Amino acid sequence: MRTEIGTKVSRGKVKNKERAGYWFIFPAALAMFGLIIYPMFYGLYLSFYNTNLVNKWKFVGMKYYIQAIVKPEFYSSVLLTFGFMLLVVAGHFLFGILLASFLNKEFAGRTVFRVIFMLPWLFPESVIALLFTWIMNPMYGVLNSILKDIGIISENISWLGSAKFAFPAVVFACIWKGYPLVMTMVLSGMQSISQDHYEAAEIDGANKWKQFLNITLPGLRPVLVTTLILDSVWWFKQYTLVYTMTNGGPGNATNLISLNIYGTAFNDLQFGKAAAWGIIVFVICYVISRIYRMVLKDEE
Amino acid sequence: MKNKMGIGKKQKQRVNGALRYIVLVVLSLFIVVPVLWMISTAFKPEAQTYSPTPIWIPDPVSFESFKKFWGLYNFGKMTMNSLATCLGAVVLCVAFSCLAGYGITRFKFKGNKQFMGFLLITQMFPSVMLVVPFYAVLTTYRLTNSLLGLVIVYAATNIAFSTWMMVSYFKTIPVELDEAARVDGASNFRIFWKIILPLTVPGIAAVAIFVLINGWNEYMFSSVLISKDSLKTLTVGIVALNTQNQVHWNDMMAASSVSCLPLIVLFLCFQKYFIAGMTGGAVKN
Repeated sequence: MRTEIGTKVSRGKVKNKERAGYWFIFPAALAMFGLIIYPMFYGLYLSFYNTNLVNKWKFVGMKYYIQAIVKPEFYSSVLLTFGFMLLVVAGHFLFGILLASFLNKEFAGRTVFRVIFMLPWLFPESVIALLFTWIMNPMYGVLNSILKDIGIISENISWLGSAKFAFPAVVFACIWKGYPLVMTMVLSGMQSISQDHYEAAEIDGANKWKQFLNITLPGLRPVLVTTLILDSVWWFKQYTLVYTMTNGGPGNATNLISLNIYGTAFNDLQFGKAAAWGIIVFVICYVISRIYRMVLKDEE
Repeated sequence: MKNKMGIGKKQKQRVNGALRYIVLVVLSLFIVVPVLWMISTAFKPEAQTYSPTPIWIPDPVSFESFKKFWGLYNFGKMTMNSLATCLGAVVLCVAFSCLAGYGITRFKFKGNKQFMGFLLITQMFPSVMLVVPFYAVLTTYRLTNSLLGLVIVYAATNIAFSTWMMVSYFKTIPVELDEAARVDGASNFRIFWKIILPLTVPGIAAVAIFVLINGWNEYMFSSVLISKDSLKTLTVGIVALNTQNQVHWNDMMAASSVSCLPLIVLFLCFQKYFIAGMTGGAVKN
């Protein structure tokens, strides 16, 4: 079938040639419409019903959307997720850029460090979650005993079991998992900046910090913008790590919006409500990406 | 005066070098210590995991947990399930994204730009939001509790980004190659298949690795869509150890270590493509 399309097009006219493009994107487009757009509209449809997907289908209109704004169960979770996202993404950028600038120079042992610092990226989120659950275990966890040895704490802390520590503990694990992406992006970006700029700056007497601010950062700008958008959106939607470590608890201390939606759907069997929240999260993620793009463009 | 400055600079460089090592070593401890703890726990007899003071080097070294990985817990089967699902998704994603990438970069059809924008917007869909409709739709087509259903889901969630990666890769291949072949009378598909595609092998490798990592690490869809024990994937199986009445940390850490191994080995062999798979066309060389 494909060769047939090919020969038809090669007969010549420009228009035919352009139209051939449709055949090439057809499989991907079909998959995207069937598997992303159709489910999404199905979700939109569900969001207007009070349904358990089996025997209860009651039309409720905009009820769940209005509730999301009025009742705190949704927006408090969204606010928590924003805080989580800001901390995690800031951590990724801090360590990602710091490590990238160290690893960008030639020195003995660079390859070893590069491999070590890439490791978290290669570990499944669920494995990282279990590993830190074990490390932070209140009775036998190695974190408590290390901190006691150094003298920072005097008694065992239940890191994931206390409302005070669970959130920072989860944020730490998420920073641990995600910074290699920023590091790698920045490293590849740095390698595309011409060395001439630095030599010129050296002659002008600019110190390393000034060089970083005036040459490296502007050169990295396009990479940083893309990474910032993707990283923010991805971690706003984070589910697996936090679910495995705390299941949203204790109380609601780590009840991110993804966990909240999941629980509403599969524990409370309120699929309509969960779908409505899902739609709102999509809008939020979209708005985040637009805002970043607008703000970062204006600065230029 | 000149001489003095020269020495100063050299000393400064040496201090900088030492400082770099100190910072890198301290930061790498945050990675190395947890990983060593995982490995050390995996080789412990269970009693030693409950020691009040941490034991770093197990004595005696026990392989029990690793034996259980293949025996008691049946993780061998789950590893095969994970692998089969990943490979299926890789094949679908590579095929679709190559075709789409070629179509987008070589033809100026209507809606070309909109399609790229649309792909980016799909990245905003929270996957947790897709869980509900996926669950409903796959139930209708009897594709829950089926690895094929999981393959379709993994492919669907990765096609957009894969296509983005392939588009940026096809852009690096000069259009003159296409034009020369077209003058010789080759058809579009022939040009794509025989001439351009062989040049994009590094891009394909990057896409394959990207999809492989995501599939291997995926947990949420797998836990919702698969409930049959014989079809479970590795991540779901390992997390299930955590919800048992008694948690055997040594077994769990052994399973965790084994599940990390394939990607680490692949990374060491194909570093270049991993990096390309991560940066995914966001960085232009």
